[in-house]
Amino acid sequence: MSNRPTSLPLQTKVSTALAVLIGVFIVASYLILNQIIAPAFNDLEMTVAHSDLKRAEMAIQTDLEVVEAVTADWAPWDDMYSYVSGENPGFLRSNLNRATLDNLGLDFLMVYSTESRPTWGMVIIEAAEADLDELGISLPNHPAAALLASHSNPESKITGLVATDLGPALISSQPVLRSDYSGPVAGAVIMGQFLNDARLERLRERTGVDMRWVFEDTGGALPGSDGDSGFDVDATSIMGHTVLSDILGARFMVLRSVTPRSISALGGQTVGVALLFLAVAGILVMGAVWLLLRAMILGPIEGLAQHMTKIRKSGDLSHRMVGHRDDEIGALASQFDDLTGEVHEARRALLDQSFKAGKADTAAEVLHNIRNAMTPMINGLERLSKAVGVTGKLRVEEATKELASTDCPPGRRDKLLQYIDASFQHVAIVGASAAEDLDIVTGQARQIEGIVSDQEKFANVVPVVEVLKVDDVLGEAANIIPKGVQPGVDLDIPTDLASYSIQAHRIGVLQVLCNLILNAYESIQRRKVPEGHIRFEVAPESVEDRSMVRLTISDNGTGFDEGTCERIFQRGFTSKTKGETTGLGLHWCANAVRGMGGSISAESRGLGQGAEFHVLLPAAQGV
Amino acid sequence: MYTAEDQDFIRVLVADDDEHVLRCYREAFGRDEPSRHMQTLSDLAAELFDSDEEDIDKPRFDIVECSQGADAIQRTMDATEQGSPFDVIILDVRMPPGIDGVQAGSEIRKIDPDVEIVFVTGYSDVPLDELRRRVPPPMRLHYFNKPLSFTQLAEDVVTMVREH
Repeated sequence: MSNRPTSLPLQTKVSTALAVLIGVFIVASYLILNQIIAPAFNDLEMTVAHSDLKRAEMAIQTDLEVVEAVTADWAPWDDMYSYVSGENPGFLRSNLNRATLDNLGLDFLMVYSTESRPTWGMVIIEAAEADLDELGISLPNHPAAALLASHSNPESKITGLVATDLGPALISSQPVLRSDYSGPVAGAVIMGQFLNDARLERLRERTGVDMRWVFEDTGGALPGSDGDSGFDVDATSIMGHTVLSDILGARFMVLRSVTPRSISALGGQTVGVALLFLAVAGILVMGAVWLLLRAMILGPIEGLAQHMTKIRKSGDLSHRMVGHRDDEIGALASQFDDLTGEVHEARRALLDQSFKAGKADTAAEVLHNIRNAMTPMINGLERLSKAVGVTGKLRVEEATKELASTDCPPGRRDKLLQYIDASFQHVAIVGASAAEDLDIVTGQARQIEGIVSDQEKFANVVPVVEVLKVDDVLGEAANIIPKGVQPGVDLDIPTDLASYSIQAHRIGVLQVLCNLILNAYESIQRRKVPEGHIRFEVAPESVEDRSMVRLTISDNGTGFDEGTCERIFQRGFTSKTKGETTGLGLHWCANAVRGMGGSISAESRGLGQGAEFHVLLPAAQGV
Repeated sequence: MYTAEDQDFIRVLVADDDEHVLRCYREAFGRDEPSRHMQTLSDLAAELFDSDEEDIDKPRFDIVECSQGADAIQRTMDATEQGSPFDVIILDVRMPPGIDGVQAGSEIRKIDPDVEIVFVTGYSDVPLDELRRRVPPPMRLHYFNKPLSFTQLAEDVVTMVREH
């Protein structure tokens, strides 16, 4: 048996490959999610942060536009114009009061005459009126005072941020004109709103942006130059900032928007969930693929490999796979079975041929040697016969009688004496030659006896042992029985013998079984029973820790008595009558079974009671 | 030794691996000269009893023996080259350890197409048809099974030589 290098089973290789594939899939998914998906969330989050900052900025701008619009509604108004010109005192009573500021949503309102002198003004701080001078911008020394209080032409207007003494404010200053926007400019109307916490809260509510601001005069650090903007990113938020200038063009405030990093957090969660989902999905898919591979390919291939290994180890080429699948692997298994069957038949034929050829060669050699040895023997006997024949023709007795006669002349007497002497010499020579020929014949006879003895030694050579399925052997033995022997006799062979296999010499077992079947037939015929039964039984048996298979053949023939039972396997013993077939004999059967490592026994309840023969043979290992 | 003048002798080559068998050939094909005492006995019997024993004109053989097929081929080649070919060559079929008689006969036939080849064997697994095919022509091929009477074989040899 060849020692093949141990290799990973196909199943392990496929499992390893699938595991590596799952790992690669998970790593690839992780990289894709982290390098592509997660940055997309960050970009989106940054876009939102930009949008938040822009919305905060726009909210300030919108409020400025509102203040400007309200101012633009009041400044070019004939009633205001005539009031500033000192011609409409009723306007003060009906329009310039606390209710107007509340209705217009203003924190302060100032009306200037052309001399830049405040004509009227009101400041509301925390729902209470405050002194106008506290505002600061009305005082001559305020940097923005001159800019706000006078307008040189009708198109002049100022809207923006300004620092007042009461806090930063949105402010708009426009020239007082007639309602048709005609001048000359009679003064200025200044309206404003404080950028206080209440306004900040309203802006936050309106925009939905977490807005914050820092003013220069409150000690806040203003980053960069005017118009600078940027974003600071930390673990929880993105803080955008932009610097806004006041109406004088000076850096005034830093407007901030705080965007929580909820999108990137959501992205992180999404990536995590997606990664987990992909990993679980990948494992499930790979598991399903593995199960499918195992069910459709690996399992059948493994079964085929086990089938091949079983055949290789047991040497039982008659073993077949159960249930061929209807696919390529099934076709492969079927072809392997067919091939195994052909090899099995070829081996069986080869064994038969070898057996017969061996017997033929042996017979040829024995015949050649015996005939060679017989040749000198026959020729020696032929020479002996010839010499004795010549001796029989000698006329010694006649010569002796003539010598005894007194009438014999002397000359003839001498010749007769010479003849008798020559005859005795001839007999002596023939005797010596005969002894020599007899030696040759004896020697050749011994040579023939030696040849026969050699054959007896060769007869003890152990024949080839192979694994045999009991059902095959019994079926073959039953088919070998000559036609015409079976009528009237029921030969019962069990059908559930597939699990029984023996290790034996096939030809020897067949000869033994045929002999026993024939004996049973003849026994039934001798008894002349109307219905003959020959029945086989097969059973496992353990003999001295050896696994054996017991083949029992029973019949309802003549049976035998106790005395016959003792001698039934002796050489030359037969209970058959003249005219019945004489096969190899039970003595030969006993020797053959013993030569295969088994035993044979017989039993009968007596004459007319049928008989049972038990053949014990070694069970095949690993089948 | 055979000479060109010995035209009455039948030249026979025998190849057999069994010494006892070779002895039988030797006796059957030997020059059967009557011994002196047998001649004396025969003469006295004729004188005293008017014996009428026939004086058969017995054939005379010149026999050459060998025990292997290769020797038989070589001796045939030598005899042919010397201008004194064998009349009959008798071969055993089985002559271990060398080549068998059939192979030797096939080679001998190539050397001497006219010689009578006789196969004598105890057993041959070569069918007669194959023998005829390998050692032609059939009329110069003969086959005898052992055991056999070498006296009879000698007479058959004489017959096949005289017929051809």
